[in-house]
Amino acid sequence: MAVASFQINRLLTPPRLALAAIGAAFPTAVLLAATKARGGALDTDLGAILLYFLVPEAVCMLGLLVTICPVVADELERGTWVHIAVRPGGRRALLLGTWLAAVLWTGVVALVGLLLAVLAGVIENGLILLGPFSVLVCLSCIGRAALFSLPAVIIPKRALVASVGVALVVEYLAGLIPAVVNQLTVSLRLRTLLVRFMDWRRNMPIQLQLLVDDRPPWAQVAAVLILAVVFLTIAVAILEWRQFPPSEES
Amino acid sequence: MIEVVDLVKHYRASSGGIVRAVDGVSFVVNPGEMVGLLGANGAGKTTTLRMLATLLSPTSGTARVGGCDVAIDPVGARRRLGYVSATTGVPDRLSAREILRSFGALHGLRGYALEARVDRLIDVLDLGKCADRPAGRLSSGQRQRVSVGRALVHDPPSLVLDEPTNALDVLGARDLLAFLADLRSSGRAILLSSHRLHEIENRCDRFVVIHGGRVVAKGTREAFVGEAGGLEEAFFAAIAGARAE
Repeated sequence: MAVASFQINRLLTPPRLALAAIGAAFPTAVLLAATKARGGALDTDLGAILLYFLVPEAVCMLGLLVTICPVVADELERGTWVHIAVRPGGRRALLLGTWLAAVLWTGVVALVGLLLAVLAGVIENGLILLGPFSVLVCLSCIGRAALFSLPAVIIPKRALVASVGVALVVEYLAGLIPAVVNQLTVSLRLRTLLVRFMDWRRNMPIQLQLLVDDRPPWAQVAAVLILAVVFLTIAVAILEWRQFPPSEES
Repeated sequence: MIEVVDLVKHYRASSGGIVRAVDGVSFVVNPGEMVGLLGANGAGKTTTLRMLATLLSPTSGTARVGGCDVAIDPVGARRRLGYVSATTGVPDRLSAREILRSFGALHGLRGYALEARVDRLIDVLDLGKCADRPAGRLSSGQRQRVSVGRALVHDPPSLVLDEPTNALDVLGARDLLAFLADLRSSGRAILLSSHRLHEIENRCDRFVVIHGGRVVAKGTREAFVGEAGGLEEAFFAAIAGARAE
């Protein structure tokens, strides 16, 4: 918690706050543009689809990329990681604290963005989406921050590029393959929960039903939490094992 | 107390070979003693200090801080050690007080105990006038003092400093070394590395010289400096002897 609080304190800079404000306003701006193009409010189903791609996907993904990816590289570059790593919690506290800070920071930005989008009145019965989408935002942040922590500790200096690759290949490509591999993705769980929340499954073509999981919502939530624990455990183990010679710092 | 016995650190080089950064280093720093670790760039000083700080794992050998083996009980070693690195790494946006508070919290300090400790450090490090100013607006000397305060926030019995006077002017360096001498008088074991030999010549009780990852000379100030006539001369003689071998 102390590392998370320290990292959040460091995130509270004017450029980061401006970026957060843009991130929070982005979904509403896109929905307003869509409303204008259609000449009226969006029906609930279409609004939910757009909101899903804008908030738990785009805003969460981008927010997490900029907050969790530099967990090692930035600290190495600024020579700050040693000061946290020599504390009793060591590298584990550095990683888990930064993960928590990334989840809280991105989660708050995404939830504000969701609230603004719903309150803007551009989606019919938009308020009913608030609860389910808040769950999706939280799960997206928890699961994907843990996923992105892996490239951050394996290849710190290329973590951002690697994480974008992981997002595209693992989350969006493997996540759409109806096989065992998509069980390991957060996107399958979020998509399944969206379909459940919106009660779309009965009317879905059989081909699209292959893209969602049959198990109940609680199983999807549990799967994301288990994935997050597994990813973070592996990331902590790698970080504890890695050696950073003084020459790797700037 | 800091004890290093036959400490070895090998890295795998990008070329595939083995780099022997530290190769069998041994020394002791007793409570109430300040020891200077000397060596040219790449001699293995920082690697040795980082193994003591649990930032690098020894390939073999033993390093103990306050009786805790850094490989077996790294958390115990971290609780007993204050570490000041060559780069201050002080966040520009936070004030000295916020930084000390944050790092105190990382050691589990809370509430009154934390505030009292932060106030005490601000007082002894003479940061009172700038304690609430963002660190980005502090001078190099003030930032280094914040860095030292951050290492002392949990009141450790042992202190390791890697070139602490590098960014400081003559006055700043003198004040910092005088402060370290006070800490030594209070019973702390202090190990510091420095390239500015004239600054530490009269401050350290003993010296350890390493070259190519090995200890090439060590001894008390009187024994080490006495014969050569000065620390710089003694250092050059030790390095020349090692090169001749």
